[in-house]
Amino acid sequence: MGATANPERCPLCGCGFDAGAQGCRPSCPMARGCSVVCCPNCGYSFPQENTGLAGRLRRALDRSERRRTGT
Amino acid sequence: MSRSTNEALARGGGALDGKEILAADRTVILVGNPNVGKSVLFGALTGKYVTVSNYPGTTVEVTHGSATIEGQPWRVMDTPGTNNLLPMSEDEQVTRDILLSESGYLCVQVCDAKNLRRGLLLTAQLAEAEIPFSLALNMADEAVSRGFVIDLPKLAAALGIEVVSTVAVERKGLATLQSKLGSARPSRFVPHYDAAIEEAIDAVAPILPRGGIGPRALALMALVGDDSLRTWLAGRLPSETLARLDVLRRALAARYPESLRFVVARQRLAAVDRLHDSVVTRGGVSTTSGWARRLGHWSTHPLWGIPILLAVLGVAYLFVGVLGAGTAVDFLGHTVFDGYLVPWTDRFVRWITPGGAFQQFLVGPPGVGPAESGGILVGRYGVVSMGLSYGLAIVLPIVATFFISFSVLEDSGYLPRLAVMVHKLFHRMGLNGKAVLPMVLGLGCDTMATMTARIMETRKERVIVTLLLALAVPCSAQIAVILAMTAGLPLAATAWFSGTILLVLFLVGWLAAKVLPGRGSDFMLELPPLRVPQAGNIAVKTVARIEWYLREAMPLFVLGTLLLWTLDRLGWLRTLERWGEPVVKGLLDLPPEAASAFILGFLRRDYAAAGLFRRYQPFMEAETMTRSMQIEVTVALVTITLFIPCIANFFMIVKERGWKTGFGMAAFILPFSFGVGAGVNVLMRWLY
Repeated sequence: MGATANPERCPLCGCGFDAGAQGCRPSCPMARGCSVVCCPNCGYSFPQENTGLAGRLRRALDRSERRRTGT
Repeated sequence: MSRSTNEALARGGGALDGKEILAADRTVILVGNPNVGKSVLFGALTGKYVTVSNYPGTTVEVTHGSATIEGQPWRVMDTPGTNNLLPMSEDEQVTRDILLSESGYLCVQVCDAKNLRRGLLLTAQLAEAEIPFSLALNMADEAVSRGFVIDLPKLAAALGIEVVSTVAVERKGLATLQSKLGSARPSRFVPHYDAAIEEAIDAVAPILPRGGIGPRALALMALVGDDSLRTWLAGRLPSETLARLDVLRRALAARYPESLRFVVARQRLAAVDRLHDSVVTRGGVSTTSGWARRLGHWSTHPLWGIPILLAVLGVAYLFVGVLGAGTAVDFLGHTVFDGYLVPWTDRFVRWITPGGAFQQFLVGPPGVGPAESGGILVGRYGVVSMGLSYGLAIVLPIVATFFISFSVLEDSGYLPRLAVMVHKLFHRMGLNGKAVLPMVLGLGCDTMATMTARIMETRKERVIVTLLLALAVPCSAQIAVILAMTAGLPLAATAWFSGTILLVLFLVGWLAAKVLPGRGSDFMLELPPLRVPQAGNIAVKTVARIEWYLREAMPLFVLGTLLLWTLDRLGWLRTLERWGEPVVKGLLDLPPEAASAFILGFLRRDYAAAGLFRRYQPFMEAETMTRSMQIEVTVALVTITLFIPCIANFFMIVKERGWKTGFGMAAFILPFSFGVGAGVNVLMRWLY
């Protein structure tokens, strides 16, 4: 929930959810290593943004933003 | 604990773990959208005294616990996340049923402060239900870090309830929330609907039974035809009252072209939008003010939405088709790969390996150019000179620019509006409205979109959507190569190509909708406000997609090249080209070598299209494309676009729809794509 291990935000409907707990991947034949997640609200699928290079970029941007705002 | 909760627990008693539940007279129920932090708040309020049970008759878990708040014992119940009190899922029905069957309770609505609009849609329904509640704006820290400023006093005044800002994971705001629990009251924020709906509510509300939900909300649920409420009503109303209710409902439904559920949701959303925009600002700019709101409205307007749609597509084409497919492909293909990478690989391999058969196996004989050599790394079908070159020099720059455009569309809030605009078109084609979502998604990846077809309600809808995705919706990588190729074609040839694909999409969709039995359903999508995209977000999204593309596509590009290399070395490629000649040359009037592109189309359609692109690229760049070549490219593009889905998509179809449907679709699509290609060839040679 609020303290999700793998928070994602659907770019289509804006729903925030825990990618680790979302349910479409386990049933997929190509689930192994797949970074695509499904929004539990609207069904939209998109590549996960909190892992790999994208995740590192996101964290770097967040750190930079925190430094800029002093929070 | 109220009587009904005791009954529910008794019915689901087997699932209870028997931990202590303190005796208490007052119950607080936590409600909220999915993933807003209800469970964290529940844990912070209740501590360790928690029981989890399945809601009777379902597999949905409901958590109960106890808390001492302001010195008083409370029972606390955590409900499944819900977006709507008009349930569309088992989870939502459980939450609605709890609110309906309980009595004498208070609610705390937990809302994601970053997504207040979505939360307010539920707030409006709790207000209609006359449930006493307080609003916890959770994840307030994340909202602030993303630039959202919410005017809490103004929001509290508009709602007429207590509004508390919280960060549940850090227990911030919990003391305030607890202290204000006792003053929870029904909200005054009750949306007003048009006269016909209000009249119907006035007529229906008095005849409905009393429950935990107020008569206005119950009347709305009954009027929109909520099937899950029907059983509850049937047990409490005489049959003649139910019949009268049906008459009123049918009379109201007849006044609108859309379903009542949609009409009510749209009018409620309008009220929520007004409230949201008056209390939320982002980055110092009020969401109420200015052009963003007007543009957002125009972008879904039946008339003004079309030029906006065309303008968006035009800009995307300039960015992807001209910059990505022209400048970037030219630079990476000619300068990086042909100028440096391929010669460097060739020299490096010759430097580290002794001359002879092994070296020739890798890079071919010395002095022979890559286009003529048979090396496995550098050669006509070499992994570096063909596989990596296709993947990294032709497709990657185009998909990268496409992903940037797609991310801008997503982040700006235009993508859902695009879905709405396309929905109107699809609806006229006889397709179900919800099909728009997987269709739009298919422009990103058909494999992902095939999985998303699950959101369709009936098998008929799922089969139609899957078929159209496999047949006529090109994925991002394929669009990329299509854009690159159409950039080298005259406008008329591009119109032939796009007209054919749209016609096929329309006709097959329309026919399938006519032939297959079944019914359609509504399309509802919450439209976020239009906003200026954030460069950081665009970068993260694009990088995530490129990573995904490289992981999924590159191994298949290498595999495809190795397959071609093997076929070439065994001499089977020429045999296959000879076998394919009657179709490829005789039917489609394409050069026999195009057969290898279609063979590779089984692996990835964009790989096949990239092969065709490479063949015609020199003529396009020199602007020496003859009329016959223009027809060849158009016919090849039509056939490859309609060609059977890539291997990943095929497996997904088989997984989702079964072997029979999967092979049935492939058996239909293969001859159909060649048939349409042949038809276009004949027509173009006659009319073009």
